Amino acid sequence: MNAPDRYERFVVPEGTKKVSYERDTKIINAASFTIEREDHTVGNILRMQLHRDPNVLFAGYKLPHPLQYKIIVRIHTASQSSPMQAYNQAINDLDNELNHLKTVFEEEVLKHSRDY
Amino acid sequence: MEVGGGASNQRFPKIKIREMKDEYLKFELRETDASMANALRRVMIAEVPTIAIDLVEIEVNSSVLNDEFISHRLGLIPLTSDRAMGMRFSRDCDACDGDGQCEHCSVEFHLDVRCDQDQTLDVTSADLISTDPSVIPVDVAAKSSSSAYDASENKACLGLRQILMLLCLLERKIYRRGIIIVKLRRGQELRLRAIARKGIGKDHAKWSPAATVTFMYEPEIRINEEMMESLSIDDKRSWIESSPTKVFDIDPNTQQVVVVDPEAYTYDEEVIKKAEAMGKPGLIEIEAKEDSFIFTVESTGAVKASKLVVNAIEVLKQKLDAVRLSDDTVEADDQFGELGVHMRGG
Ligand SMILES: [Zn+2]
Repeated sequence: MNAPDRYERFVVPEGTKKVSYERDTKIINAASFTIEREDHTVGNILRMQLHRDPNVLFAGYKLPHPLQYKIIVRIHTASQSSPMQAYNQAINDLDNELNHLKTVFEEEVLKHSRDY
Repeated sequence: MEVGGGASNQRFPKIKIREMKDEYLKFELRETDASMANALRRVMIAEVPTIAIDLVEIEVNSSVLNDEFISHRLGLIPLTSDRAMGMRFSRDCDACDGDGQCEHCSVEFHLDVRCDQDQTLDVTSADLISTDPSVIPVDVAAKSSSSAYDASENKACLGLRQILMLLCLLERKIYRRGIIIVKLRRGQELRLRAIARKGIGKDHAKWSPAATVTFMYEPEIRINEEMMESLSIDDKRSWIESSPTKVFDIDPNTQQVVVVDPEAYTYDEEVIKKAEAMGKPGLIEIEAKEDSFIFTVESTGAVKASKLVVNAIEVLKQKLDAVRLSDDTVEADDQFGELGVHMRGG
């Protein structure tokens, strides 16, 4: 009867920002990114990609509650970088990795269907 | 260099397909990590869109199943969904302002069956009439493509073709075609209109294009050959037998223990425990390679298994694009930065 609509899980409500950014008030070069309507799929790849960045001192994500459809990504960087820069870089790198993956996968499918 | 001057830490993964059929795919993914493998798996199961029946208007239903029971069964019939990636979700379709019944966001189906015989009549997916020939039940599509293949192969030989067609008709009479929706007895009738829409498995499992998607870490098995040679043939045999799956065997020529199927290993560690019990710790070392995965993808038939992987990559790219910072967020932070400089007396 009072069950929330199923689309609540993946449709960002009107007037809500997909990504909001909040600087840490105490630590320099630390910040939290709140991402609405995302889960472990995006959270975990972002975290692992951030770990590959040598300027990132800390990167982690949490899904605060299973019924709150958002994740919080926290980043702390060295002074040469900034959380925002690291975040953008991680997304760019993942995007390029996926572009590469798509190309090699399609080549392999083509090769395989020719051989077959 | 990218915007912001950061250095790239991008990876270049490798792919090798081992086996490929329309509905089954086995491939190796290398030089990336588990987060990427798992993201792809999760997207394939829950976020690659397909088309499924979502709204049913029942005109007549005198069958033994109630309306919502039949509607639920209709929803679960997989439909060919190659169109889905280019379709609109009905909730953000502006062509029909939220009605969700226009050509951009939906496909209409009709079903009209009445039993006028003593024998029980099966109502199946083959009775669903689609208004879009590219969106039909997957079993109907599979049948029509295989018979088309038969016909083209035997163009010159008319006699054989006719026999084949006859056999096909006979088969239809003997084996009931399609996915059974409901059974009707004499006088019972089912007449309805159904609207199929684009959706994702996260919303309802009926929209999931994946039957199963799994990946395993590739194991790296190292045998301490020197220690192994100190074992008698009977000891070797009993050690091999300790594995619940057939990973090792004895080479009939050299009497040496060889790895016959590393991927049969289920990380049960039985062979390691057995080696220790035999007083030979370190006889075997097994490691899960952290950057190599073996994927198995089974599709429901809504999209080809290979297409499912490609679509998953595309969907994951779109998701990442959606989580990029907006310009106003960056601007607001720039102002914050300037304010900070002011406060510090800059
Ligand atoms: Zn529409």
